[in-house]
Amino acid sequence: MHISEGVLSGPVLVAGAAVALAGTAAGLRKMDLAQVAQAGILSAAFFVASLIHVPVGPSSVHLILNGIVGLLLGWAAFPAILTALLLQAMMFQYGGITTLGINTVIMALPAVICYYLFGPFTLKKPRVAVPAAFACGAGSVFLGAVLVGASLMFTEGGFLEVAGLVVTAHLPVMVIEGIMTVFCVAFLKKVKPEMLPGYDNAAPGQSIAHGTML
Amino acid sequence: MTRSIKELTLIVVFSLILAPAAHAHKVTIFAWAEGNTVYTESKFSGGKMVKEGRVQVFDSGGTLLLEGRTNDNGEFSFKAPKIADLNIVLIAGMGHQNSWKLSAAELGGDAPTPAASDQPQSEPASLEATHAKALSAAAPGLTAQEIEAIVSRQLEQKIQPLTRMVAASQDKGPTVSDIIGGIGYIIGLVGLGAYVRYRKDSRQS
Repeated sequence: MHISEGVLSGPVLVAGAAVALAGTAAGLRKMDLAQVAQAGILSAAFFVASLIHVPVGPSSVHLILNGIVGLLLGWAAFPAILTALLLQAMMFQYGGITTLGINTVIMALPAVICYYLFGPFTLKKPRVAVPAAFACGAGSVFLGAVLVGASLMFTEGGFLEVAGLVVTAHLPVMVIEGIMTVFCVAFLKKVKPEMLPGYDNAAPGQSIAHGTML
Repeated sequence: MTRSIKELTLIVVFSLILAPAAHAHKVTIFAWAEGNTVYTESKFSGGKMVKEGRVQVFDSGGTLLLEGRTNDNGEFSFKAPKIADLNIVLIAGMGHQNSWKLSAAELGGDAPTPAASDQPQSEPASLEATHAKALSAAAPGLTAQEIEAIVSRQLEQKIQPLTRMVAASQDKGPTVSDIIGGIGYIIGLVGLGAYVRYRKDSRQS
């Protein structure tokens, strides 16, 4: 899901960088002392996850883990993913420096969206929580693939064509990450439920959430 | 009881996923010339070949010379349309792209082709000419050009596996030290972030 340098047009790169910057600013502003450490750990997990490969058809795809990162961090997923991507670009030549912004958006924006869509359900009964966790893990990969299609549509032809291709290639990853998210949520619920979104009490959390939606 | 089972499953799932060797996710293209035919090989860093990847060949001015697709082994070859620095770009789809630069010197090896023999060889030529004279004296019936062509063809054949080896070694996936280094950076940033947050919080209180 890392777009290489020299593929995208200038406006797409600039727009991506702007959104990534705004998201990172929002994430940093919301981060409290406890979340700094959490963001670091998840950033490290994300950094390493991309090294785990699933060979599919003509390409090969890797784990992304943006669903879990988003679920546990909310907006702080932006700085966490940005950091990990910067290090991947520098050390593994994944993606690139010019595409850092757009790549951050591709992976962090779905993470935040899924945090809002599915996060509140993860503390409910398993009947609700399990599908929600699966949808969070799989959905954030799916949305990321759609964003790849959207950013490539100006240079590689039709949106549906490219997005369809990327989504199909990532189907196995979606399933794997969905299952992993289910396990992670089940585990955290037993061990450390306060890490899951909306644990303390929903009302203030909700108002904070709306306040920083921009 | 159920908790320990879940933890165990989690560990099993993770170790199953982690089991295959770690690979980088980017694409690389490698090109070499034999005479004036250029061979390219494209692969994803995991070692998987790029099938049906688009290969575009540009000259140094950026004009598109020719275009083609890789076969099932990630290979694509073409006759160099002219002796010039070539920029060979691989577009593997889904945002994956890389390029390889092939210099005119690498292409100019095949002397008998008219394009190559036109190559200006001013000063070293005189030196080579004396060598060639000596050689053709030793092996009459062969012109200097023919000897040169034979030698360079043989050399290319001999060197080719080496060139491939060098290209392959440049394309090593992430090493353990890279990975540990990256995690180290993140830990450092966490420390920095925690420090900044702590100072802000303690000032406020």
